[in-house]
Amino acid sequence: MNHRLEPTADPLPDAGAAPRGCTVKARGWAWKHAGRDTPAVAGLDLDIAAGERVLLVGPSGAGKSTLLHALAGVLQDDEDNASAGELSIDGQPADRASGRTGLMQQDPETQVVQARVGDDVAFGAENLCVPAAEIWPRVAACLGAVGLDLPLDHPTSALSGGQKQRLALAGILAMRPGLVLLDEPTANLDPDGVREVRDAVVASVGRSGATLVIVEHRVAAWADAVDRVIVLEPGGGVACQGSPAELFAPGPVRDRLAEAGVWVPGYTPPLPARVPAAAPGTGLLRARDLAVARAPRTAPALADLDLGIRAGDALCITGANGAGKSTLALTLAGLLPERSGRVEARPGLLGPTSAGVGAPGEARPYLWRAGELVTRIGTVFQEPEHQFVTATVRDELAYGPRHARRPGSNERLHTDAEIDRRVDALLDRLGLRELQDANPFTLSGGEKRRLSVATVLAAGPRLLILDEPTFGQDANTWRELALLLREQLDDGVAVIAVTHDAAFAAALDATPYPVGRAPSTTPSAAVPTGTAPVIEPDAAGRDSFFGRCNPLAKLAAVVLATTPLIASLDLVSSTLVVLVSLLLLPLAGIGPLRFLARAWPLLVAALFAAWGTALVGNDAGAVLLDLGLATVSEGSLVSGLATGLRVFAVAVPAVIVLSSTDPTDLANALAQQARLPHRFVLGALAGMRLLGLLSEEWTTLGMARRARGVGAQGSIPQRMRANAGQSLGLMVQAIRRASRLAVTMEAKGFGGRQRTWARTAAFAARDAGLVAGGLLLGAAATAAALAAGTWNLVWG
Amino acid sequence: MSNTLTAAATTRRSWRVVDIVVASVIAVASGIIFWAWNTTHHLLDFLFLAFPPSSALVAGMWLFPAVLGALVIRKPGAALFCEMVAAVVSSLLGSEYGWTVWVSGLVQGLGAEIVVALFLYRRWSLPVALLAGLLTGIFGGVNDAFVFAWFPDYTTAMKFAYVGCMAVSGLVIAGLGSWALTRALSRTGALAALASRKASQERIAG
Repeated sequence: MNHRLEPTADPLPDAGAAPRGCTVKARGWAWKHAGRDTPAVAGLDLDIAAGERVLLVGPSGAGKSTLLHALAGVLQDDEDNASAGELSIDGQPADRASGRTGLMQQDPETQVVQARVGDDVAFGAENLCVPAAEIWPRVAACLGAVGLDLPLDHPTSALSGGQKQRLALAGILAMRPGLVLLDEPTANLDPDGVREVRDAVVASVGRSGATLVIVEHRVAAWADAVDRVIVLEPGGGVACQGSPAELFAPGPVRDRLAEAGVWVPGYTPPLPARVPAAAPGTGLLRARDLAVARAPRTAPALADLDLGIRAGDALCITGANGAGKSTLALTLAGLLPERSGRVEARPGLLGPTSAGVGAPGEARPYLWRAGELVTRIGTVFQEPEHQFVTATVRDELAYGPRHARRPGSNERLHTDAEIDRRVDALLDRLGLRELQDANPFTLSGGEKRRLSVATVLAAGPRLLILDEPTFGQDANTWRELALLLREQLDDGVAVIAVTHDAAFAAALDATPYPVGRAPSTTPSAAVPTGTAPVIEPDAAGRDSFFGRCNPLAKLAAVVLATTPLIASLDLVSSTLVVLVSLLLLPLAGIGPLRFLARAWPLLVAALFAAWGTALVGNDAGAVLLDLGLATVSEGSLVSGLATGLRVFAVAVPAVIVLSSTDPTDLANALAQQARLPHRFVLGALAGMRLLGLLSEEWTTLGMARRARGVGAQGSIPQRMRANAGQSLGLMVQAIRRASRLAVTMEAKGFGGRQRTWARTAAFAARDAGLVAGGLLLGAAATAAALAAGTWNLVWG
Repeated sequence: MSNTLTAAATTRRSWRVVDIVVASVIAVASGIIFWAWNTTHHLLDFLFLAFPPSSALVAGMWLFPAVLGALVIRKPGAALFCEMVAAVVSSLLGSEYGWTVWVSGLVQGLGAEIVVALFLYRRWSLPVALLAGLLTGIFGGVNDAFVFAWFPDYTTAMKFAYVGCMAVSGLVIAGLGSWALTRALSRTGALAALASRKASQERIAG
């Protein structure tokens, strides 16, 4: 499907057939999550009328998300959860109203299920068994309704956060729900993204007539768009409710909400007046003619930068999404190498502890060891979990100072007693004393944010670099962060923050440092890092002959062609298959260079297999190499070559054919034609979509951990420990994302026995030709080996 | 509260959507760890040049999704499913074993699956994990050395040495490693939606 959809006159055709809005009723409803001592929600009484638009607010822990998940029917049916009372939609118990509701959550990455825009919008409708012929018109109408003018085969991974949320909304609308539930839909978005999503929701959900329930911390954007605001009490029911004008007008309710950290419209947490230092401090860091890029050899995101920062300075890097702000921050932090130009530490940052003054690279943060870096520059990543490296809050705070090293030596910078004092002071300052034995990953969002800043401060850096520190935080955490950073500034620490938050910049009296070009049409998510593994074929591969063949036919052809090679160890059959495969490269749309890039590990494996056999194979003929225990002779060298070539020949056809295979097509064929259970096939496919994201996360984890003092250098055991820690970090993020993705899929009706398929998998004439070709190649290889007298069964 | 809280229906054996998706993503994340490992493990190859069958000592890296999947998901078929998906991912990324990696994934996954099935999907302790890793290694080793016979010129003794090395590797990397990883994951709260959420509080030998 390459055609671009024309926007239809009526974005929601036959809107009269769409179901009216649902009513919601709760009576004494309660829910307790597995493993928790207290219920998330208890004694909730609530009525929402059909078509009403409601904003749910309350302090964190008030059970807002739990209620939304219950209404969406996705609270896990698990023996350890417990519920009480009644929660119904249109008089039906909420857990049986599947198909009447649609849910959007905050993390845009896990709101998308499929790899292509059109497939993703169709996904929910397919699960609800909407006939295939009806799905595509719905997809077109719903993409129009949310204002996404994109080709149906546009890759979803190339969308910005705001576009992903609008795509998710289109998928929800395509299910024609009577109740639309939005769980902090804009918390992870920049101000432009927030407006974009809000406008799409107001325009499209309003027109569909569905009831709308929104949970959001930053309520200002939504106050005008709702009829009623309901305030929930932590662990209880409704605290109060009323129109936005009533509740958010100056008065006790507004004050109480603000005190609980809710961003009521027009509210900025009050901070004491501050007098910034008059005299400029000593110079800490300087960048000259700097260009920055995510990966070496890629085009710079930003170039020709010159900046300097002094002790006590606050600098705020601003700019459009995807402008390269984070890349600049990571480069200044010594976590990414300069693309060109120099980042140079000045004496104020190098400090008196510096030993080898004048040594090459001494002033270049990227070349510092992790243990030196943490004592000079502290970097706080946007996602606190990326930087957690131990199992308790206390160890987390002690980790940086414990691994701090005197520059140029392996001598520890702090004694244990000093570290204890420092950790105790931070625990008290941040109110984390009670939680000192808790696992950092189990803290609340605000606590994680405070801890991640504190862990970096613990090593006593002179320069702090923070990436969007206030993203998704409630007003109370925001205020604490501002106060904490002000203290640091007053102590002569410099702060560089990447932020969209103008109020936060003002609170730090930060100098703005705007960067970047005009907002580009391709957001940062689409920029390939150049080093990540790639699972989807490129355009040349997709449009090639093999790219258009049925994946099952391709598999059959590969198996038929290579089975003789598995049966026989001989040079003749292997050589024939390798040669024919290489001749077929153009059919897969792969050039020789790309083939080599994909095939080099195969060559290494083949050489290793060849060596192994040459060394241990039966000796015959002249001895070529004598190693004492084993020898390589002419005879064993020939069988070594045959072994290596066989390994290579079995792999090559599969590599060529699979490189042109799209996972979505493979899944469709496996589920529709091979009749494998569709829940498992589509679940695996959805998981594979996270591959690119997780591999980026792996890179980010490496940098985030270096910023905490975890060295990638060192002895082999040290490296293995660091790798194990990073693997755990990756698994935690993978499972968290998977859990959210599962909620998205379930809320879109996934998991039933039946579904329809908007895109049908079929066999064509070329597939028969392909299978015949595979059979022919296998037969030819066998015949050639038999004719040459080299046929040699491996099981003989 | 007017009513007392009542527990939801028991669904111990059947797969929920969250089980399927988490299992898939574990396999995909394993694929990334394989890929990161791929660039280092060929650097280790020289260690095994003197006695090639010992290269199987690091093969446990390819086996851990089977045991990890079983320990985290705790449903029938989890070991098989995770190892299969990991194999498909690695073949799509360009595996050095071609399509046969699908078969290897199936066979290796079966090794771990048989062990947890013998314990009726009720025991997830360290000994069970070690046994699962061991059998996965044996299955994988036999598959490589005798079924696909990647090293036809090895003597029978060397083929058995290969299987033995892979069994040890499976026991340590896939068995012990996955067990430790599951407990570490459970401490982070990431397993909250899964049957293994309390893995870190379970008895080691139980």
